[in-house]
Amino acid sequence: MADNAAHSAVEVRGGARWRGLLAGIVCVGLPGLFVFAPLATFLLYSFWRNEDGQLVREFTLQNYRAFFGDATFLRVYIRTILLCLGATVLNLVVGYAIALFIARRDARVRFGLVLVFVLPLFTSYIIKIYAIRGILGHRGVLNELLLGAGLIDQPLTVLIFSQTAIFIGLVVLYLPFAVLPIYLSIERIPPNLAAASADLGGSTLDELRHIVLPLSIPGMILAGVFTFVMTFGDFVTPQMLGGIDGFTFGRIVYTQFGVALNWPLGAALAIILLITAVGVVFFATLAGRWSTTR
Amino acid sequence: MNRRWHPIDVMTGLVALVAFCVIYAPLVVVAVFSVWQPIRVKGALSLSPPNFDSYVSLAANREILDAVYTTLGVGAAATVLGLILGTVLAFYYLYTTGLPRQIMQALIFLPFLLPPIITGLALLVAFREMDLTRGVPTILIGHVVVVVPIIYRTVLVRLNALSPSLREASLDLGASDWQTFRYILLPQLRTALIAAALLAFAVSFDETMVTLFLSGSTSTLPIRLWSMMRLGFVPDINALATLIVLLAAAIAFCVGLLNLRANSGLRG
Amino acid sequence: MNVHSEFLRLDAISKSFGTVEVLHDVSFTVARNEFLTILGPSGSGKTTILRLIAGFEAATSGAITLDGARIDTTPINRRPFNTVFQDYALFPHLSVRRNVAYGLMVRGMDKPAIDARVAEVLAVVGLDNYATRLPQELSGGQRQRVALARAIICEPRLILLDEPLAALDVTLRTQMCAFLKSIQRRLEIAFVFITHDQQEAIAMSDRIIVMNDGRIEQEGSPEDLYLRPKTRFVAGFFGENNLIEGRVSGIETATATVETAIGLVEVALGTSNLTVGAAVQIAIRPENINVLKDPQGGAAFVVRNVQFAGASIIIDAVDAQTGSVELRVRQAPGNALNRPAIGEEVAFSWAAQSTTLVAGEPSDGG
Repeated sequence: MADNAAHSAVEVRGGARWRGLLAGIVCVGLPGLFVFAPLATFLLYSFWRNEDGQLVREFTLQNYRAFFGDATFLRVYIRTILLCLGATVLNLVVGYAIALFIARRDARVRFGLVLVFVLPLFTSYIIKIYAIRGILGHRGVLNELLLGAGLIDQPLTVLIFSQTAIFIGLVVLYLPFAVLPIYLSIERIPPNLAAASADLGGSTLDELRHIVLPLSIPGMILAGVFTFVMTFGDFVTPQMLGGIDGFTFGRIVYTQFGVALNWPLGAALAIILLITAVGVVFFATLAGRWSTTR
Repeated sequence: MNRRWHPIDVMTGLVALVAFCVIYAPLVVVAVFSVWQPIRVKGALSLSPPNFDSYVSLAANREILDAVYTTLGVGAAATVLGLILGTVLAFYYLYTTGLPRQIMQALIFLPFLLPPIITGLALLVAFREMDLTRGVPTILIGHVVVVVPIIYRTVLVRLNALSPSLREASLDLGASDWQTFRYILLPQLRTALIAAALLAFAVSFDETMVTLFLSGSTSTLPIRLWSMMRLGFVPDINALATLIVLLAAAIAFCVGLLNLRANSGLRG
Repeated sequence: MNVHSEFLRLDAISKSFGTVEVLHDVSFTVARNEFLTILGPSGSGKTTILRLIAGFEAATSGAITLDGARIDTTPINRRPFNTVFQDYALFPHLSVRRNVAYGLMVRGMDKPAIDARVAEVLAVVGLDNYATRLPQELSGGQRQRVALARAIICEPRLILLDEPLAALDVTLRTQMCAFLKSIQRRLEIAFVFITHDQQEAIAMSDRIIVMNDGRIEQEGSPEDLYLRPKTRFVAGFFGENNLIEGRVSGIETATATVETAIGLVEVALGTSNLTVGAAVQIAIRPENINVLKDPQGGAAFVVRNVQFAGASIIIDAVDAQTGSVELRVRQAPGNALNRPAIGEEVAFSWAAQSTTLVAGEPSDGG
């Protein structure tokens, strides 16, 4: 945030000092009460345990040990990471293509095109999942079309209530989130750089390879981080589209607070989810810095 | 950029076209099904004659309508609370220095940066510790926590862009801090506040993941839809979904128009 | 200046921002109805003084007194001073009339009274027909007059002006100087005017305080400062000045003799206390030096450069003997025959009264 030395130079004196203290208590206290306290409590929960349905508030590492020790947990965790990585990579590639296409169009149509691809973000998230389920179902639209066209004999079952279904859902839901940051970073490239490249004898491909691509890396990193963090933490899509086989790490966390009713374990798993997300952001920031200081 | 279409443009254009179809397929299907209901004719999927039955049925669907009212109510309340809180906190950041404001800002942004599942769970746990039963109040708190960072940032960016001499001039001429806020700063913040309010309302309206953990018997629309969907297929949902999509499209259309007018220099 | 007319006093004011000291031990007074200019280069602390008086900052040490009472802890909105900001700080969403009325509006004055006063003040600054315009529809000069009107209407004890002419072009600036001076005389309000431009200062001020590096260099009327600079910095700040180093060798009633590299020079004795043997610098303005083609008796100078500069010819020369004294002379272009050539040897003369002694070691930063 910008330096506000000029604004704060109007100093507080005398009786106003008490007002300042009150303001401080309210302004720092409210976020403290509604953000810090819940998160701190949540962290504490991950170090407690459940005994016969009752919460026992004694320090223990058993939840974390359960994660690292249990092959199932680890398997789902790794599988989810790979799933989300895959969705992220696909979204980056497709998103980049879309962003590039829009950026190379006339200035007049660009805003409209961006709006077209961003509009789905403002429609209901849950309804989109519902619609995808309808399309991918055994007797859904897609299968009926393929059957009707004679391309297949039996309805495809792999498309719904499977990891594939989750993958498709995540890609369709989060693609617009990837397009926007990439587009903004491409658009920010000064047009005279392209002119310079052409002037020096470069072809369009050269321009793309040597100018557009390197300069749009920050946007790509941002899009990648967004997509991964959002898909990794999404438990609603796997719940709706995953069926029995479709357990992602996020969904496992969710069930601990639902049917399984093991809040401490759920908290620990959620903390691990959080650390994963933070780790990704951290490494992406490093990668971003590395790419721009070379 | 080039006017002719380079092979690159053809390739990316194709990708964009396919992506466009894939992204919009769900919305189109929902819209189509709201008017032409899918029925089974001799085991194959077919469409009924066009009718607006599902829309009529929607208008009578108490379950959904109640959820819509709740969502609108929570959205409005969360937006108003968010505006007040976000503005107060932004002013606090602007007019103080040092550690307290940095801590405050970090805490404000945390729910925005963390995955929503974490925010939802943390609040769930906190409410349980406070023995607060889940219901509209807890949903409201959750929405405010989610919405405040958006409003805070919008207001702060606008405040930072204002010249500090405006406030100084007002004080210099004898106005109190409150008068300065009311007559000078608030008018300058108007557009930022409206934009932030619209965005906050939109976010609150569609908020699913955090709300799932915070709802009790009454719930917002996304939660109600979620539980209905788990049970099966409800035609009214298609009608509702289509209406939402049309509304979003209409707003986007207006935004696009406003943008065009602003860019071509016409003054409203 | 009448001591009884002083109403604002700054005593030993120092101000630091963290470890950076911006003002050091600054003391001065402001008298009623005077046009006081605080003049100095950027970073000299002049804007900080203005902000301390207005109340935007608090001094680290020292006292500010109004009519004998300390006002250091009085908040901005209670001090009877109004400021004209460098960027005018006009409220962009309010019309000219609303901008000007603001100070009265927040005091709760009723509308008819406000309207009457606003009309009055707009007439004074010559903006009667612009009452309904918005600030962005006005030119720079007009905006400045609105800012002035807005400050005047509250009838403050003092108006502070922060480099108000900086954003205006040269011709407009000259007009505004005259305008500001006439307004000040007419309203009989004290003006404290901040600027880095010595021409503005000379044109408008009753009294000037020259600041450098957080300290007051000299205080006096424009004439005092121009003709009798006391420090090397002030001497160099107002127009050009030649400086010749030397030691005092003799003191008489009205003059003193200084031993320099070019021989004994007679100088006017100002009010400073001089002792024989003291190290001094002689200041003499280029326009006060005469060129003598025949160096008989006087020190010989070799002409290094001759340049036409419109209203004058600039002659740069260095003394033939030691090469340590460089002088710049300005001469009316008039007679081309008298113009020396480069490389020619000439001598210079001047009247003792047009010299002044300046304090400060040659290695001063000023």
